[in-house]
Amino acid sequence: MLPVLVVHGGAGHIPPERAKVSIAGVRSATRAGYAVLRRGGSAMDGVVEAVTQLENNPYYNAGCGSVLNVKGEVEMDAIVMDGKTLASGAVSAVRNVANPVQLARLVMEKTSHLCLTAEGANQFARDMGVAEVPAESLITDYARMRWRKNLQPDANPVECQMGKMGTVGAVAVDMEGNIACATSTGGMLNKMEGRVGDTACIGCGGYADNKVGAVSPTGHGEAIMKVVLSRLILFHMEQGQSAEAASDSGLAYMKSRVGGLGGVVTVDPQGRWAARFSSRQMSWAAAQKDTLHYGVAAGEHFTQSIDEPN
Amino acid sequence: MKAVIVVHGGAWAIPDEISQASIDGVKAAACEGFSLLKRGGSALDAVESAVRAMEDNAVFNAGHGAVLNSDGEVELDAVIMDGRTLACGAVSSVKNIANPVSLARAVMEKTDHVMLTSKGANLFAEGIGVVTTPTETLVTEYERKEWEKHKKYHTGVIELFNTQWAHDTVGAVAVDHSGNVACATSTGGIRNKMVGRVGDSPIIGCGGYADNLSGAVSCTGHGESILKVTLARLILSHIEQGKEVVDAVELSLRYMGDRVHGAGGAIAVSPSGEWAAKFTTERMAWASVECDILWYGLNPNEKFKQQLS
Repeated sequence: MLPVLVVHGGAGHIPPERAKVSIAGVRSATRAGYAVLRRGGSAMDGVVEAVTQLENNPYYNAGCGSVLNVKGEVEMDAIVMDGKTLASGAVSAVRNVANPVQLARLVMEKTSHLCLTAEGANQFARDMGVAEVPAESLITDYARMRWRKNLQPDANPVECQMGKMGTVGAVAVDMEGNIACATSTGGMLNKMEGRVGDTACIGCGGYADNKVGAVSPTGHGEAIMKVVLSRLILFHMEQGQSAEAASDSGLAYMKSRVGGLGGVVTVDPQGRWAARFSSRQMSWAAAQKDTLHYGVAAGEHFTQSIDEPN
Repeated sequence: MKAVIVVHGGAWAIPDEISQASIDGVKAAACEGFSLLKRGGSALDAVESAVRAMEDNAVFNAGHGAVLNSDGEVELDAVIMDGRTLACGAVSSVKNIANPVSLARAVMEKTDHVMLTSKGANLFAEGIGVVTTPTETLVTEYERKEWEKHKKYHTGVIELFNTQWAHDTVGAVAVDHSGNVACATSTGGIRNKMVGRVGDSPIIGCGGYADNLSGAVSCTGHGESILKVTLARLILSHIEQGKEVVDAVELSLRYMGDRVHGAGGAIAVSPSGEWAAKFTTERMAWASVECDILWYGLNPNEKFKQQLS
């Protein structure tokens, strides 16, 4: 059953013209992360590789392609967590960085802290020699078009966001049984400057524990925070629920208690995995035993050999 | 229904010279919060007013009296949560604000978001007319001296100090006469922290959590350890599984010690008014009021009683 890697490219209602591209990116990121694990790489290396690929892909709301805040700027959140030691690193509202997930990993490995925010995170990036990229290089025409559209007084950014949530994330178990998760996002469309969503918050935007499993969520960030979704799903697994049942109960609770929609990828220490969502769609893919699984609409589950071209 | 408030002034090795002031501070804050509950005020109003009282008190590391970061600046974190709806608000790394807990409440009530950080939080504060306070007015002479002293040591030594010194986060939990619970937590973080360091306090489920179905918790102690175990949510999950409030707190603090070697403290209250104030650090200043009786303590297993008139 090991190694295994599961990736999501965001939950929402994905327009048909974007669904194909969205699933293609998730599949290729899954292949890349799985290749790392197959070579004997750690779960942490695997999830960071997969998320880095999606950050670099302009079709997702993370890294290049991030949504814009109300001022038309990119501010990103990311987190990683290592299930062996519960070590974690996060950045919130960081700018001018191509790969926030890698910066989050540096926070975990090079500081005694767990989360750095805004200008402090950028200052740390400079000290670490992380290349600063121009803000423009992270902005796509699509992101700018959607920003303009939602500046209208009658706009509904939360509803519009569901058309491209696009937060990206991954969970994995490596051959040694170590578990990790990573999540990265540009946040919510037309958010206030300095808004931090669930992604940077441990237990909300991700959690990994070798004894229980790992979760990476996507969806309405404020709702995910209110129910501490990742930790909630893992509590259910500690109580004996399967990864799939726990994911479904966590998402159902979020919907009934705070009216929030979203999706998760979940894995347990034995390598059993789930990709579940309460939104209309979520692009996801999983790799296990040299087979690639993927889907985007509810109930969809395609498989192919990991070595087949996209 | 029985109304209860519990407050803490931080779990750490509180030096003797400020121990009395710390006890007096938590007692005053608990009484202030309770007076609201007694008049029929909400749990949310009570925890906010108790935390404001401690933010305004220079003996505590929150608001006025906060510790300084490595650049010698004050950056504050706070959270507030309403157990009725799970609505919550938080600010992280905000500067020049005297009462971050009230700004966190404004985030909850006046925006679609849960958390605002850094300059964005300050812009929001300006936007809603919150008065800005010059950094110098938030810094005590005592803290400036401590910071200068610690600046001389190597990082490793500073961290050693930090495990015992200066995490006096403040917090409150309450249940009101209608059975609603709420929590609030506010802090200046840890001395000589990196610029932009965010600790557990503003993170939902770590520095605090409140849910009418299980109870409310506010945490203090080594922030990075609290984050790793999502302490507030962990305590409530034990209560959900049927544990007594005090057992849930002790079990979770012990787990944090075993799993990530972190020390800390927490206060908790259940919707039916059971409460606990426990810590694994040397000391934690705490106080509680229920049925016009004030309880308080500082050292392990200490529990003094005082009848309020």
